[in-house]
Amino acid sequence: MNESSSAPERRVRQGMDYGETADVHQVHAAIQREKREPRVGLEPLSLWLIAIYGLAVFFGGAYLGRYSGSFGADGLDPLGGAPRPQKHGPNGPGGAETQQLSQADRGKKIFSANCATCHQANGLGVAGQYPPLSGSEYVNGGTRRLGMIVLKGLQGPLTVKGVQFGTAVMQPWDKTLTDAKIADVLTYIRQDWGNTGGPVTPEGIAALRKELASHPDSFTEPDLKAVPADAELPGGAPAAAPPGGPPNPAASPAPSPKA
Amino acid sequence: MNPAEIPLKAPSTAAEAGSEVSIHDVEQVERALIDASTRLPVLFFYTSAIVWLLIGTLLAGFTSFKLHAPDLLADYSFLTWGRIRPAHMNVMVFGWASMAGIGTSIWLMARLCRTTLRHPLLLIGGAAFWNLGVMLGVGGILAGGSTGYEWLEFPPYATIVLFVAYTLVMSWAILMFRFRRGDHIYITQWYLLGAFLWFPWVYGATQIMLFVVPVQGVMQEAVTWWCANNLLFLWFGAIGLGTAYYMIPKVIGRPVYSYHLAAIGFWTYALFASWTGMQRLVDGPFPAWMITASIAATILTIIPVATVGLNHHMTMRGYFGLLRYSPTLRFTVFGAISYTVFSLLGVFLSLRSVAGYIHFTEASIAYSHLGLYAFFTMIMFGSMYYIVPRLVGREWRYASLIKLHFWSSAYGVGLMVLMLFVAGLSQGSAMNDPTIAFNESTESILPYLRGRSVSGMLLTVAHFVFAFHFGLMLLGLGRTADVPTFLNPQEEEAVKTHL
Repeated sequence: MNESSSAPERRVRQGMDYGETADVHQVHAAIQREKREPRVGLEPLSLWLIAIYGLAVFFGGAYLGRYSGSFGADGLDPLGGAPRPQKHGPNGPGGAETQQLSQADRGKKIFSANCATCHQANGLGVAGQYPPLSGSEYVNGGTRRLGMIVLKGLQGPLTVKGVQFGTAVMQPWDKTLTDAKIADVLTYIRQDWGNTGGPVTPEGIAALRKELASHPDSFTEPDLKAVPADAELPGGAPAAAPPGGPPNPAASPAPSPKA
Repeated sequence: MNPAEIPLKAPSTAAEAGSEVSIHDVEQVERALIDASTRLPVLFFYTSAIVWLLIGTLLAGFTSFKLHAPDLLADYSFLTWGRIRPAHMNVMVFGWASMAGIGTSIWLMARLCRTTLRHPLLLIGGAAFWNLGVMLGVGGILAGGSTGYEWLEFPPYATIVLFVAYTLVMSWAILMFRFRRGDHIYITQWYLLGAFLWFPWVYGATQIMLFVVPVQGVMQEAVTWWCANNLLFLWFGAIGLGTAYYMIPKVIGRPVYSYHLAAIGFWTYALFASWTGMQRLVDGPFPAWMITASIAATILTIIPVATVGLNHHMTMRGYFGLLRYSPTLRFTVFGAISYTVFSLLGVFLSLRSVAGYIHFTEASIAYSHLGLYAFFTMIMFGSMYYIVPRLVGREWRYASLIKLHFWSSAYGVGLMVLMLFVAGLSQGSAMNDPTIAFNESTESILPYLRGRSVSGMLLTVAHFVFAFHFGLMLLGLGRTADVPTFLNPQEEEAVKTHL
């Protein structure tokens, strides 16, 4: 249809570089044919749309109420309150499910959420950066050193299994994890990957936390060396549990490719 | 041209017909003058945007290939994955998407305020500074100066230049709105004005909290994701929705279905979208209520999404057949539908139980591409297909190229989202299983990453075809005709009258 009208086409072509527009009408064929600027109709709201609004508000509000962790500034657990649940036992509300798990199983969950990024799921760490937990003398030794490391963090070079690690810093976990969770995760790492340590009690961690409350910085290797290798946590005197015993048969065949 | 007074003289048709001047003729002349005044700045923004689009596409290709061929060009430090990925992302966000969005906004704002563009030099300056900012930023990233915050990797000196550029554009926007004619403020103007005010808020507040008075520790992540998500929602989302609200009724020539729906959709969007962002950090070391508040706000965005979606759908109802012909409409409607999918998927992915599986995996990349490409970029393409002919006085040269562009883009982004989403699911469940080593979880998604590279090639074809076509238009090589370039030959008279 455009081929038929050659006369206007010629007129358009001759003068028209789009910088110069002598004849507005001819240049803007597109404008001529276009529709009016859009207007707005006034259809009313339909009822079922209002129902959707109601559902969204209800669902959003319910979600906020359910998973807000009591709006505590330090409540990391969306189901529980702020971390003061020791008075009621190691688990906050909603703990029925977790109570059925053994300490090491609970620790495994905490480990994969918090620790496995650096120390890896197989506990072998990353060469040169993050020391291994599997077979580590710190993990298999006394519980006091372990508690110190996890509560307050660790910086500076560290020698594990004869290899020196230096670049990475371990963050303090005393603000993030509760006593019960630290005890769980320590129990787990002392029993998986062929490690032979005994369980760790929340009471021991709590006592150590109190003891270290005024210690401001992360520990360094000399700090740890100052503590005897077999020192246990204060208060709690855990009887040496049978290594790799009943708590955690499921996790023992963890793949460790290099082992 | 003095913009304060638009000469309302009769166009030649009226003279030829010998009749008196109709309102319609007057409107035509007014529109022609407005378009003429926006020509240089809008084309400058568009050209820059398309150049950045090509650069970003090439960077994206490298990024994608390196995930399954890590040795590719690994000997050059500036081509390592850790640099070209942020370079790709920032080129697309600030180079392509923002500049295309500003270009379209300028034109829409001028049209809807019924005023010729004042001080076009201000905008040319703004565009030049914006280009400079993106150039400095990308150069900084490639040189190793990335800040390390996702979406905000530009080094601070580039950000300052961007702010200067933005201030120039912003002062123009305020001026333009100040001198609008007519009482009516159309829906598109709400969104555009909102976007122009939200961008400095989101971007500025984040820059201050990250670089000027930095917040401590993990809270930096909270700020970063609030920013990234709201650049997507409040900046790109608002411009994209505003454009769709103009293009759909304009092309089909029918009023928007309902003012009430539009008003509810706009205000609830403004209210809820600004709370989102932290839902990307589920299970992170943050107070639970912060993340939950974002999730709840994301759930509440169902309200604006359903409302806007319904409004567009009801406007289109009975006119879907036109998708066969109009390039603008096809791209815009694809974008509008993608917006609904993107938002509803966003709600689903934000829930704690789902996010526990897919967060920190490729699925969040799929989500970002769904928003920034399938929704926003497609709408921008649609608006360019509408606006550029009005600026250069030519019609698009080849319908076949437009079709090729559309189908490569549509299939490309569809395949990409699908591949990355499935990859994310598989990767996420592997990462949640403590008996699977981290390496294995990433190796398991290699086939999907290769598939993603294929989809990237489709998008590359689309973008180069579009850039070529746009280049033809710039050079004045488009068709000179009275009818637009239809995707398919017209079959019925009824169709013709509607385009």
